[in-house]
Amino acid sequence: MNTIRLYLRSMGMLLRSQLQYPVSFFLQTLAQLVMEGGEMMALILVIDRFDHLHQWTSGDLFFFFGIMSVTFYLTECFGRGVTGEFPSMVRTGRLDTLLLRPRGVLTQVLCSAVDPRRVTCIAVGVTALVIGCRLAAVRWTFLKALLFLEAVLLGSMLILALFLIEAIFCIHSVKSVELVNALTYGGRSACEYPVTVYPRPLRILFSTVAPFALVLQVPAAAILDKPLFGLPFWAAFLCPLSGVVIFGIIYLLFQQAMRFYRSTGS
Amino acid sequence: MSYIQVDHLRKTFTVRRKREKDSLTREKQQIRALDDLSFGIDQGEMVGYIGPNGAGKSTTVKILSGILTPDSGSVSVGGLVPWESRREHVRHLGVVFGQRMQLWWDVPILDSYSLLKDIYRVPEEAYRKRLDELAEALQLGPLLRTPLRLLSLGQRMRAELCGSLLHQPELLFLDEPTIGLDSVSKLSLREFLQYENQRHGTTILLTTHDMEDIAALCSRVMVLGHGRKLFDGDFNSLLSRYDTARTVLVRYEDAGLVPPLPSPLSFTREGDSLKVVYSPREIPTADLLACLQQAGPIRELIIQPQNIDHMIAEMYREMAL
Repeated sequence: MNTIRLYLRSMGMLLRSQLQYPVSFFLQTLAQLVMEGGEMMALILVIDRFDHLHQWTSGDLFFFFGIMSVTFYLTECFGRGVTGEFPSMVRTGRLDTLLLRPRGVLTQVLCSAVDPRRVTCIAVGVTALVIGCRLAAVRWTFLKALLFLEAVLLGSMLILALFLIEAIFCIHSVKSVELVNALTYGGRSACEYPVTVYPRPLRILFSTVAPFALVLQVPAAAILDKPLFGLPFWAAFLCPLSGVVIFGIIYLLFQQAMRFYRSTGS
Repeated sequence: MSYIQVDHLRKTFTVRRKREKDSLTREKQQIRALDDLSFGIDQGEMVGYIGPNGAGKSTTVKILSGILTPDSGSVSVGGLVPWESRREHVRHLGVVFGQRMQLWWDVPILDSYSLLKDIYRVPEEAYRKRLDELAEALQLGPLLRTPLRLLSLGQRMRAELCGSLLHQPELLFLDEPTIGLDSVSKLSLREFLQYENQRHGTTILLTTHDMEDIAALCSRVMVLGHGRKLFDGDFNSLLSRYDTARTVLVRYEDAGLVPPLPSPLSFTREGDSLKVVYSPREIPTADLLACLQQAGPIRELIIQPQNIDHMIAEMYREMAL
């Protein structure tokens, strides 16, 4: 309980810090809108040209786009510590300060940054979801809403886990940004579309190492009433658990890596 | 067994050199940051930890704080192994790095303190009492509602110190706390450390290059060089070992006068005065003064001890650092 309170209080303080520079805050928020709005424009152009992709209708495509970007940008907003600051904390030795406090490292890293500028990106994602639901005439039920929440929540864990890989590389003083970005940002851009449109190697990548297909897209397909390769509806609740598994594995690796942390000079 | 017990501590860093032009492999260099270091510190002691840059001081502090894991050797602080039970250990520990800030940059320092209270789970009552005490002793009262970024360096140092002591640690590590401070700030900081040590029995390990800090605060000093302990004991006895030279400045009524000096000594002119550097062991001060007095009437005479920094430099040279 105390940890959640600490997180909320930290967020409050960081927000106040950021609002010390209101103009910069406003402009950057606007810039984010242009960026994610552009991604959605690309989707709209695709749909305008083809009106469906494989077996997916335009409504389905909007829904897939929406669930991915809502999940990703919620994570970037509230998990900014892990997705943005952590590697540089390791490189500059700022991590030392956190290690001197009687709290878990990951808790403190999460408490150390927030990125409210992402609200515009989240708004774009929500818009896409709403359009998707309209076009595909989704019939919401309680179970579907639950499934949606599960997918977004565990999807966030998966994304945090992938960003943690970069931190692990940093601890071993290896610069790896491009490699890891392929999984994180690359995963986001690719999995805004259903993975079935991609060739086999990518499909395998996105259902094993970075299983966005299992965590986000299986639930999305279930919500859209698609046949789940002959599996019953409840199977859609199990698939996102793969995100927890990945998170668990990477978290253990991270704990191991912290033993090698060598700080920087002072 | 002492409160802090360090035995045969070793830590090696591997530094990868940049690849040479015609070589395919990169050269790796092993640097022994700590090489079989042992010492003990009792509760309530104030110990100065000195040594040239790169001697391993910060590495020791980082291992004692649980940030780094050593290659071998054992450390126990109040019965805990720092890197194994990090969270339990740092609950009773305060660390101030002169070069690294822990408070939040853009918010009033009071807000930072309030968050630290939550991080360390300090009860509200104890927090208020402690904050009042520290704000008074460190003269922070009027600054509490000011954002950190608007404070001067000295004020920021005091604010940092307050933040590191809110949870009333038993043990305090200070890494060059007076770096860049003016004389007034330095003096008040020293006064505060003395107060904290006497009032709460806080054990303090002070890493610094400022010998005045050590002279004012620490009765015991440890000297580190190339990762090894070279001296451990009373600061005054360390100084007296290297405190060999004295400087005499003498000014005669007749500025042109040249006194005869005993054989190895010579003088240099500094304005109207003559400067003689001598060692009291080789020639007793009384003999030298008698010699100077015989030459003619003296207008002014000053005897100066050697500057501490010179002594330490001399010591580092002798220890081949």
